[in-house]
Amino acid sequence: MRLSLASAVATFCVALVLYPLLNGGGWFWGSLGAVLVVLGAGALSGRLALPAWAATLVSLVATLLYLTAVFTGTKAWALVVPTKESVLALGKLLATGWADIQRFAAPVPANAGVSLLTTAGVALIAITVDLLAARLRRTAVAGLPLLALIAVPATILPDPMSWPAFILAALGFVALLIADGRERISRWGRAVLVRRTRNATGGPRETTDTRGLRLSGKRIGFAAIALAILVPALLPSMEPVSWFTFGVGGSGKGGKGNSISIPDPVVALKGQLTLPEKRTVLTYANNDNQPRYLKIYSLNLFNGDRFELEPPRGAPENRVENGPLPRAPGLGESIPVTAVTTRIRISEEVERLAFLPLPYPPSVVRAEGDWRADVESLMVFSTREDASGMEYEVVSTEPAPKPEQLDASPPVQRTEANERLLRLPEDLPEEIRELADKITAKAETPYQKAVRIQEHFRDSRNGYTYSLQTQGQSADALLDFLIYSKTGYCEQYAAAMAVLARAAGIPARVAIGYTGGTKVDDGFAVATSDMHAWPELYFEGIGWLAFEPTPTANAPLGQGTARVPPYSLPQVQDSGDESAGTATGTPGSGEVPTGGTSRSRNIRELEEDRLAGLGGVPVEESVSPVLGIGIGVLVLLLLLLVPAGVRLVTRSRRVRSLGWKVSGPQDDVTARAARVSVPVAAAWAELDDVLDDYGMARQPSETPRALARRLTEQQEFDAGTAAAISALSQAVERVLFARDPGEVGPLGKELKLVRRALARTVSRRTRLRAALLPPSTMRRLRRLGEGLLDGFDRLETIRLRRSTRTQAPSGSEGTRKELVSK
Amino acid sequence: MAVTHDVTPDNPPRLEELVPTAHRIREAIESVIEGKSEAVRITVTVLLAEGHLLIEDVPGVGKTMLAKALARSIDCPVRRVQFTPDLLPSDITGVSAYNQQTREFEFKPGPVFANIVVGDEINRASPKTQSALLECMEERQVTVDGVTYELEAPFMVIATQNPIEMEGTYPLPEAQRDRFTARIAMGYPEPTAELEMLDVHGSTSPLDKLQPVATADEVRALIRAVRGVYVSQAVKKYAIDLVVATRHSPDLRLGASPRSTLQLIRSARAHAALSGRDYVIPDDLQDLAVPVLAHRLLPSVEAHGQRRLPEQVIAELVRRVPVPETRSR
Repeated sequence: MRLSLASAVATFCVALVLYPLLNGGGWFWGSLGAVLVVLGAGALSGRLALPAWAATLVSLVATLLYLTAVFTGTKAWALVVPTKESVLALGKLLATGWADIQRFAAPVPANAGVSLLTTAGVALIAITVDLLAARLRRTAVAGLPLLALIAVPATILPDPMSWPAFILAALGFVALLIADGRERISRWGRAVLVRRTRNATGGPRETTDTRGLRLSGKRIGFAAIALAILVPALLPSMEPVSWFTFGVGGSGKGGKGNSISIPDPVVALKGQLTLPEKRTVLTYANNDNQPRYLKIYSLNLFNGDRFELEPPRGAPENRVENGPLPRAPGLGESIPVTAVTTRIRISEEVERLAFLPLPYPPSVVRAEGDWRADVESLMVFSTREDASGMEYEVVSTEPAPKPEQLDASPPVQRTEANERLLRLPEDLPEEIRELADKITAKAETPYQKAVRIQEHFRDSRNGYTYSLQTQGQSADALLDFLIYSKTGYCEQYAAAMAVLARAAGIPARVAIGYTGGTKVDDGFAVATSDMHAWPELYFEGIGWLAFEPTPTANAPLGQGTARVPPYSLPQVQDSGDESAGTATGTPGSGEVPTGGTSRSRNIRELEEDRLAGLGGVPVEESVSPVLGIGIGVLVLLLLLLVPAGVRLVTRSRRVRSLGWKVSGPQDDVTARAARVSVPVAAAWAELDDVLDDYGMARQPSETPRALARRLTEQQEFDAGTAAAISALSQAVERVLFARDPGEVGPLGKELKLVRRALARTVSRRTRLRAALLPPSTMRRLRRLGEGLLDGFDRLETIRLRRSTRTQAPSGSEGTRKELVSK
Repeated sequence: MAVTHDVTPDNPPRLEELVPTAHRIREAIESVIEGKSEAVRITVTVLLAEGHLLIEDVPGVGKTMLAKALARSIDCPVRRVQFTPDLLPSDITGVSAYNQQTREFEFKPGPVFANIVVGDEINRASPKTQSALLECMEERQVTVDGVTYELEAPFMVIATQNPIEMEGTYPLPEAQRDRFTARIAMGYPEPTAELEMLDVHGSTSPLDKLQPVATADEVRALIRAVRGVYVSQAVKKYAIDLVVATRHSPDLRLGASPRSTLQLIRSARAHAALSGRDYVIPDDLQDLAVPVLAHRLLPSVEAHGQRRLPEQVIAELVRRVPVPETRSR
């Protein structure tokens, strides 16, 4: 029974790690119920002494009844007995749940289907654990199903598992192991000790042995958990350094999850832009030989700090192989479009890319595998495939609106559908709104507003500077970029323009992908340094149009291969020479835009030029992995030095107290003794620690005098040292044991003499260890740890007595664990 | 490091002046017994601790010589009793004899009425006679025919006995061995000491030349001074720890009695005084643990089977029991 209980608790503890995968609490209560049902079934089979296979059968049947009752109770006979209808309903619900899990990214909404799936899974795990641990007595193997359960969130979620959840799960398993150990020992019966002496009423030796045996398992368990938590936290990250990972959870081949996690495109962007080496990400060729931006992500959501990716939705019927993609949102029939066929080949070096880089708006994508389109954003993604090394073809329908069509686009009405594309947080700094109003004051149409906002960034009089030194991502940083520092890179430019556009009433989002890249023989090569963010603005009747506020290569600094779309330039050039320069430097409609090598230089080269010119303005991008490891090692070293530091502090404290002047004799013997005892005690403790450090620790039964004798003989002290140590020992003796300690001079000199003499006798290694990892301090630390463990043990014994009566597990985790360890 | 100092009100005699006397006695004995300074030291310690001494060893190693040397070096009445199986209790304590002239019973004091009584081969006497002597030792008085006679201080019995394996002996029961403060073994002399003994003792007995070096009064003053030696609480606790350890040791069937704690502390005082200290340190207890405790203990069957003597058990306990805590925690 104890083992069944422990199995149930362990399963439930581990099931809690599913928490971040699911939205809502239905699955939680469902799983708890399932665990309890399995526990009850196990208890019943235990009472009836059924064989293992029958017990498993009973548990399975009980689980079925439970699931029927909870999920399809209305169709069942008397709520629990499954009927044909209820079984069919259960199956249907399971299919729905399965489809939901396929469709949604984590966290999945815990509707009935998903809850059923989760509950059934937890119940199956509970049955397996119960079978292994309680029936077959293979407790260690029972860890495997638990591990499988814990592996689900660990593989699906990009974030590491939160450590409290891990501790809880590990404690559950440890509790299971402890219960098993106790069960085994209790079968042997109590250890019988032959008492040899009449009057030995529990000598200390007899009792500690069994206690230690019982405690050691628990201690090892706790220590292992603590180490598992602490060591990875202290070590520098050991993740394989891939050149450009997208951090996208697509799971790759053999992954089990069908969901996709939300990547952090912004982080990927920054990571690729700051790579020390430029790598080719993809190459492409198209039929009109024009460079085009290739979009990977559309960040729709602005949370006040930054733009974020909405979980993409891709139903099976939206597979790209099923035919053309839906028409781009908002693209009116009257707008002329240019159909472009682009053939793209992704480099093998790319890792974990679950979204296809595509020119916007794609209409036909010919790619192998299960690629699905998100209907709204036209992102193409996969939960199973990895774009690495892929080659695919895409036909895009690029809108080419005429100027009058652009101007004719009416302001967007705020509706429920586009509300989130216009949403700005309530606490957006007022300055930003004011800035947006100021910029767009003279503009009449949304399109003109957009052009003016882009001009605001590109106009060199406004003083925006390109630099990869980021400001972080927050409302403050945005304000800082827009108003104060005006320094950032494409991400800041894109986000800032999108926010200003939203403030001006234009739906806006941030696109992340690659610029057109550099011209090579028969197409274009796109490198890591070409990764880019740009704003996309929505115009009624035209759809999403890309803008380019980031400085391009012809500006003093800028994204090398970025280019400004022709429609986004002001049609009336009224802003002076600078913008004219920009306009002329920008490729027009048809010419080869970035063919010149000087134009397409890597941003880093530009940075270096600038550094050379300015005489070394530090442009720090981010912490490189080497630096990270270095910091980690440094922290580790510092941690290792802690014992030495503690030792030094202790020593100096003692030496200070040694220096206290002991004034002349007083009548009051006790007062004098108390005064004298402080420095003597300090000297003695210091000597003790020094001996400990040098590996010649004083035996507990060794008196001061005996110690002095031993050291003098063993270490062959010269006369001076021998006198010093004997003076020390006699002072201690007098302070401790004499009625009147008498006069005790300062002992600092003697102590130093002895310490030097001792240091001479030991090997260099011992000396080094004494300095770096002094055993005396380690001993104290160990004792501290033991005290802590003892405290835990005592805590437990207190609880045990109370919990003997409450056998039924309650909902709270704490009381459940007590029961197990009972 | 908690230190408690309780100051005794009575002012004991100046130890410094008396210690030389003790050393004179030691030197006098050592002039007779070559190379046995440890045994001699314990002998003097027991004298100053107002205890009794049991010397146990094979015949001919100088047990009687030690006892006699001690007796001679102090100018006080000394009696020697050779125990034999036919010795009667009255041969020890004395008898009331009828005086025909006075027509009264008159008490004739036995050999126990002396400051130092040397009981040779005590284990050869019958248990009845042994217990007569042991009663005197404990109570320091003799009761004959309803009259109690006090014995004069200092009163010290030095008993010698052959190891119990020898034939024709009545080994002392545990309860009676407990009355002796200490037991020492003489051991065979070192070859050099033995050679010297041949050279010196060949012609004359060194005992003949031995003159008393101290008076009974001086010894009494010394004993009073020893009583005033300071024992700190920590040391008392250490003594108790040691004794308690013997009671819990699985190697021992019988641990040490509370009386032995008392005698351990007393002899530790004397030991400290002999070293010229007016306070007891744990070393005193460690030095004395074997002679003071070992003869009171009975080894367990297992320890006996492994030929582990109580002496070894005690020595091991001394190595294991922590001394009064001197570490600062």
